Amino acid sequence: MPRIHLGDWVDSGVNWLVDHLSWLFDAVKAVMEGMYNGIDAVLGAPQPLLMAGILAVLAWWLRGLAAGVLAFAGFALVDSLQLWDQAMSTLALVLVATVLALVISVPLGIWAARSKAVSAALRPVLDLLQTMPSMVLLIPAMLFFGLGTAAGVVATLIFALAPGVRMTELGIRQVDADLVEAAEAFGTSPRDILVRVQLPLALPTIMAGVNQVIMLGLSMVVIAGMVGTGGLGGAVNEAIGQLDIGYGFEAGVGIVVLAIYLDRITGALGTQLSPQGRRALAKAPTRAWSYRPRPVVAVAGVVVLALVAGGLGIFGTSGSSSQASGTNVGKGKRITIGYIPWDEGVASTFLWKEILEERGFKVTTTQYAAGPLYTGLATGQLDFETDSWLPTTHAEYWKKYGKQLDDLGSWFGPTSLELTVPSYVKDVNSLADLKAHASEFGGKIVGIEPSAGEMSLLKSKVLTAYGLDGAYQVIDGSTPAMLAELKRAYARKQPVVVTLWSPHWAYSDYDLKKLNDPQGAWGKGDGVHTLTRKGFTRDNPEVGKWLKNFSMTEQQLTSLESQIQRAGKGKEQDAVRSWLRAHPGLVDTWAPVAGRGSGSRAAG
Amino acid sequence: MSARLEAEHLFKVFGRRPDEAVERLRQGADREELRGDGTTAAVIDASFSVGEGEIFVVMGLSGSGKSTLLRMLNGLLEPTAGRVRHDGQDLTALTDRALREVRSRKISMVFQHFALFPHRSVRDNAAYGLEVQGVPRAERERRADEALALCGLAGWEKSWPDELSGGMQQRVGLARALATDADLLLMDESFSALDPLIRRDMQDQLLELQKTLKKTIVFITHDLNEAMRLGDRIAVMRDGRIVQTGTAEDILLRPANDYVASFIQDVDRSRVLTAAAVMDTDPRGDEADCACETATPDTPFTELCAISARVPHAVAVLGTDRALVGVVPRQRLVGFLGDEDAEPTPCRNEGGEDGKKVISRA
Repeated sequence: MPRIHLGDWVDSGVNWLVDHLSWLFDAVKAVMEGMYNGIDAVLGAPQPLLMAGILAVLAWWLRGLAAGVLAFAGFALVDSLQLWDQAMSTLALVLVATVLALVISVPLGIWAARSKAVSAALRPVLDLLQTMPSMVLLIPAMLFFGLGTAAGVVATLIFALAPGVRMTELGIRQVDADLVEAAEAFGTSPRDILVRVQLPLALPTIMAGVNQVIMLGLSMVVIAGMVGTGGLGGAVNEAIGQLDIGYGFEAGVGIVVLAIYLDRITGALGTQLSPQGRRALAKAPTRAWSYRPRPVVAVAGVVVLALVAGGLGIFGTSGSSSQASGTNVGKGKRITIGYIPWDEGVASTFLWKEILEERGFKVTTTQYAAGPLYTGLATGQLDFETDSWLPTTHAEYWKKYGKQLDDLGSWFGPTSLELTVPSYVKDVNSLADLKAHASEFGGKIVGIEPSAGEMSLLKSKVLTAYGLDGAYQVIDGSTPAMLAELKRAYARKQPVVVTLWSPHWAYSDYDLKKLNDPQGAWGKGDGVHTLTRKGFTRDNPEVGKWLKNFSMTEQQLTSLESQIQRAGKGKEQDAVRSWLRAHPGLVDTWAPVAGRGSGSRAAG
Repeated sequence: MSARLEAEHLFKVFGRRPDEAVERLRQGADREELRGDGTTAAVIDASFSVGEGEIFVVMGLSGSGKSTLLRMLNGLLEPTAGRVRHDGQDLTALTDRALREVRSRKISMVFQHFALFPHRSVRDNAAYGLEVQGVPRAERERRADEALALCGLAGWEKSWPDELSGGMQQRVGLARALATDADLLLMDESFSALDPLIRRDMQDQLLELQKTLKKTIVFITHDLNEAMRLGDRIAVMRDGRIVQTGTAEDILLRPANDYVASFIQDVDRSRVLTAAAVMDTDPRGDEADCACETATPDTPFTELCAISARVPHAVAVLGTDRALVGVVPRQRLVGFLGDEDAEPTPCRNEGGEDGKKVISRA
């Protein structure tokens, strides 16, 4: 069989699209982000409990008293978990994706219902959209639309499109042919047949499709979180990255609350919209828990709550603090920092966020997986990131994107890559000892993401150097899975060998032993580098200088990391602030301004 | 009686290369030959005309092409060949838009399975055609209510189709067709899905309405009794062709071929025939001179039998001005019932006379 270079064709196709249709993607992106920002602003504006009240009144109106009370309870729970903002931005994301999915899928479904050819042509496309692993689609979406909302919406959209099209087509095809013929016999035009007969009768099926679209959209928010859409998806990713079961569960519960709410509301909406459904509802006996206010009452309720919310919003906002003019280098200039949820990345990113904000910049930080982070930096959507392990671990990324990036040098190092065992594994101290103990470890080395630089180094060099090729199998997985496996084995005092690196918090949480590397197969340690987009230092000479001169000692880094760890999720910047208070003068050392802390420029 | 609706050599062929198939059919190819090529000839060379105020029944078994024929009359199906004229207008030459206009104003249709819109109330169903015409709401509701009242559904306007019995649903279907004031009514097995008693009611009601409305009606059925009851004229279809067109009596008394003959075997003739069909039109002239009971040409067969039983001789049939137009001997009545028109053969028994004839085949 000759090799078909399908991948290459897709690659060049995507490149061509990026090169030639960027205006189109930019326009689409602008529309999506506009919609998202608008909806998010509306949802996020009122006090959480007021907004919960508005959502609850909607549920009460559409489904009954019990639904209203439960909706309020659910959203109050989300608020008390301090996930309100994330929940609202996720809700906004899902709503935008749903609206767009419906705008695309309902007409497509109608078209497919009317033409067998269209239906036949659409079917494989829908299959592709629905079953192609979403991460595979996420990368091109990111190249087209950049990081953030638009890429997330598109990924969600693509996934959620198929049921919308399918259910619309099915619903229309299911309409009794006799009825369509009757309409034709009375001279109804095709358009009117659609509007007067087919769509009303297909409505329950179409609404089931809408419901599916929303549910699939919600199931995609976690994936979308990987490209920096934030919200609950971002929270889940963060929790996964840090193996924080509790936080992950809380964010997950937030998604579930949204899912149940949207599911029940769209279900009820479907019944309300169709005349048959309304009739069935009118017949059902009314009980206290199913009592529903009349639309007027419900609308009045929503309006009153919204007005109260608006009023509170006006009086509630506090003025922004003014900056001392001497240190206001940024003058409100925006800087975007991306980070991978690794501890040193989180620590340094929030450190710089705080420092730059003190210097008058407006800083946004967003969390990504490594791939999207590099893509975002290379395409200029991010300004800089502080967590590149070079020259070894991130060698692949550097090879691919290095030309589009500027390296401001290492601020911490050297790091090291290693295989690690718990200290209770007595006889194994060096990589050379592993071979004899293969059976003890079940012949398995617990790896991390197969895409990680450390993994390819392990497979290509380290195993060979110590003759472990036949004896051990490297398990591909993920960092959280590796850490979970380590935690599990550690709790039971079972022997385990994992792929790890330093610095890593696991060394402070568990009593672990790095295996010596007498042959130097791992190579020299990496430095943690700061990378910027091309041209960032030209645009921001001061910041560029600060970053270039930045460095941290191991003591500084670990104490900052532990401070952040203690503060908990969402309070990273507070932790940085109190850490800086405990280490006075560092801000002026790292970000010197003329007239203040002169002479400290040499630091680093 | 002027022709309101004319069908001229209508063909409908489904499948590939229909025009070629029509050509072959014209040259005498039959349905089976075409079926081998994957084409289906649904209607073959159908021609007829329907007069104003006439009920024209197309009768045939399923698969005979009668429903296809009906759908060509209002353009739901486009004929492969041939023409349909309604009111002098050639429907086959119209654009889609013009054809829809004709359907919404001049032709309406009643369906076998009612085809009521489940998402509309009874009133909105009846008003559907008017809504398509663009009649303002108040007027169309008034007219829909009138049509419903005409069909015996006053008071049910706000109900929903699924709350009504089958018979009532079909009355809504009828009201929907009548509300548009279309003068041509196409009825596709409209009463077939109803149970026999209701069906009879509906037939009666249709005949009653027709007396005042005088619509031109094409009625499709597979039930010969229904055809005989309703039809002023009947076309019998078989395998896509019209095999005979005529009045109920034509069909019954002069079946065009064995197929029609076998078809009418099961018909209850006594319900269809009248004195005019049975009588001997060549009377001696003095049969009515007595004071005995007489009949008219319209007297139904059953009543004729009753009269015959009360009269000792043949029943005289008197025309409009009480002139003698025919006589009905009892022998003839019995012969019609038994589908036997031969003269009685003389009995071989000595003294065997007609009245004492031994029935040999019990």
